[in-house]
Amino acid sequence: MRRRILSGAAGVLAALVVGGLLMLIQGYDPISTYGALFEFSLFGSGTLATTLKNSVPLILTGLSASVAFASGPVNLGQPGQLLFGALAATIVGIYVPLPAGLQIPFLVLAAVAGGALWSGVAALLRQLFGMSEFIVTLMLNMIADFFTAWAIAYPFMDRKAYSPMTPPIGSSGWLPDIGSLSSTVLLMIVAAVLVWFVFQRWTAGYEWRMTGQNSLFARLGGCDINRNFWAIMLVTGALAGLAGGLVVMGGPHRFIKGLGANYAWDGIMIAIMANNSIIGTLIYGVFIAAIQTGALGMELITNVPSEIAQVLQAVLVLVIVATREYLNVALDRISARRQARGRAS
Amino acid sequence: MNIVIGLITGMIAGATPILLAALGGSMTFYAGIFNIAMEGMMLMAAFFAVLGSFFFHSWLLGVLFAVAGSVVLAVIFILFSVVLKTDEFVTGIALNLFALGTTTYLLRKIFKVKGVFTNKGIMPVPEIHIPLLDRIPVLGPIVSGRNLIVYIAVIATVFCGYLVFRTRFGLRLRAAGYNAASLDSSGVPTARMRSQALLICGVLCGLAGAFLSLGYVTLFAENMTAGRGWISLAAVILVDGNPLGIAVISLVFGFFDGLGLFLQGYKVAPQFTSMVPYIATLVALYFYARRGRGRKFL
Repeated sequence: MRRRILSGAAGVLAALVVGGLLMLIQGYDPISTYGALFEFSLFGSGTLATTLKNSVPLILTGLSASVAFASGPVNLGQPGQLLFGALAATIVGIYVPLPAGLQIPFLVLAAVAGGALWSGVAALLRQLFGMSEFIVTLMLNMIADFFTAWAIAYPFMDRKAYSPMTPPIGSSGWLPDIGSLSSTVLLMIVAAVLVWFVFQRWTAGYEWRMTGQNSLFARLGGCDINRNFWAIMLVTGALAGLAGGLVVMGGPHRFIKGLGANYAWDGIMIAIMANNSIIGTLIYGVFIAAIQTGALGMELITNVPSEIAQVLQAVLVLVIVATREYLNVALDRISARRQARGRAS
Repeated sequence: MNIVIGLITGMIAGATPILLAALGGSMTFYAGIFNIAMEGMMLMAAFFAVLGSFFFHSWLLGVLFAVAGSVVLAVIFILFSVVLKTDEFVTGIALNLFALGTTTYLLRKIFKVKGVFTNKGIMPVPEIHIPLLDRIPVLGPIVSGRNLIVYIAVIATVFCGYLVFRTRFGLRLRAAGYNAASLDSSGVPTARMRSQALLICGVLCGLAGAFLSLGYVTLFAENMTAGRGWISLAAVILVDGNPLGIAVISLVFGFFDGLGLFLQGYKVAPQFTSMVPYIATLVALYFYARRGRGRKFL
């Protein structure tokens, strides 16, 4: 545990240094740029609430990727599953009006079902025909992208709007802000606690983790590999779908063009940075959300384009992972040397 | 008749970037690298192609810039996965996102636009008219008058096939993937073979990207590769890396790509026609899995 914190911190530090060098090359002052970046995301008044709200889709898709990668299935379909979750929540929100107390849980369920439906397609193709879920989920992402673009441009389009978007969902399905904090954050935390509980404390989660580490061992130990595959795919799809639903319910309240942004790929990166740990996903999720949120404010006062956040993120993931793996090798070597010396004396 | 010729030329244009990127992928496939960075390499190349072509008013410099941009990503790949032993899958995903972020950032910083950069100053790669050949009816307009990079792709296919199966380099390349330990013990460092494979992949993806932004269209758009790198990865897997097989598969994908554009004239919603190549990939994967080898990969 201590080693993980150490290597994580070293990685973040190294990445920030590399990012700073990239800024220096272009003639920007890294210290004032980083200062502005974090002032507008973590330390300014009210900015932390924005950062937390922006972290919701990142963390949920990150959890989805973490659970999938740690359990074996290479589910890279979070982008498509997020879109289907968002579309399902939007359609139900428009056509099924319910009182406020019922509407919100119902829309959450719709989002979860939408995401699980799309990951279920990939799971079905894998189980029926043995098609590798890795390429299948990637192709389904592209198909989901075009399908939702069609859905909001033809059957569900708002005739009054100038660009493709659906009409707004009923206001009883809007997730309100509590004080300055969006209630999507609370739902995200509930989901994260549930995932942590299932993954770390339940028999099912234990079986998933064992399958991820050594599927032969898990199978010989009596785990039903096929059933677990289904469960993992559906759960991770549901998490990504929830992310999409919450984006709709807490934000524009309708499905607008480009709704999915790059959330899901960022989430996958966060899972990789966190080495598929659930708590790590939460920490890195907030960190990446801070960079994205702060970048907009930074652009206003330093004239560094906000798109640098995307470059910084990719540098972060590479340097963090490389530092971790390199440090692990180095630390193992040190401890091995120490043991050898202990034995010799 | 014109429709058929149009479909075939559309097929060739759609197949070229996938073919070039997949040939690059086959090099790393044989070398035993799980390389999924073709998407990012192509995107980077597409951007730098426009950059070079626009600022120097020369398509040749555009292509050279494209290759350079793509090779830079290949070098980063080597640094992380071969030298620092970072997981290849992680490196590939991070590089794809790095390319997406960098091109978006530079598009904004250098050209001061968001989304798409298009300008009359961007010189496209020329089309080559072969004398005599272009007089032949039907065949002439298909074989002649294609973009220069199309012909390069054809040559690259033959060259890659020769390189992998007929040369000492190719033998060592395949050994790096087949049994790295015995290659190392025979005195050839696997790391060197893998680095060279990645560099070749960088060059080929560079050409693929240059074709996208200076041939297929003459502009740069954010994320304009639109999954072509992933499709080329699927093509590599489907034929176990064989360059001639890749050429056939790429033409099939190119056909569906062209078909999608063609169907737009027939009142089919454009979103559905755009889906066609990805659905074709899924269908191809289905047939691959039916042959009973689907589970071997990954």
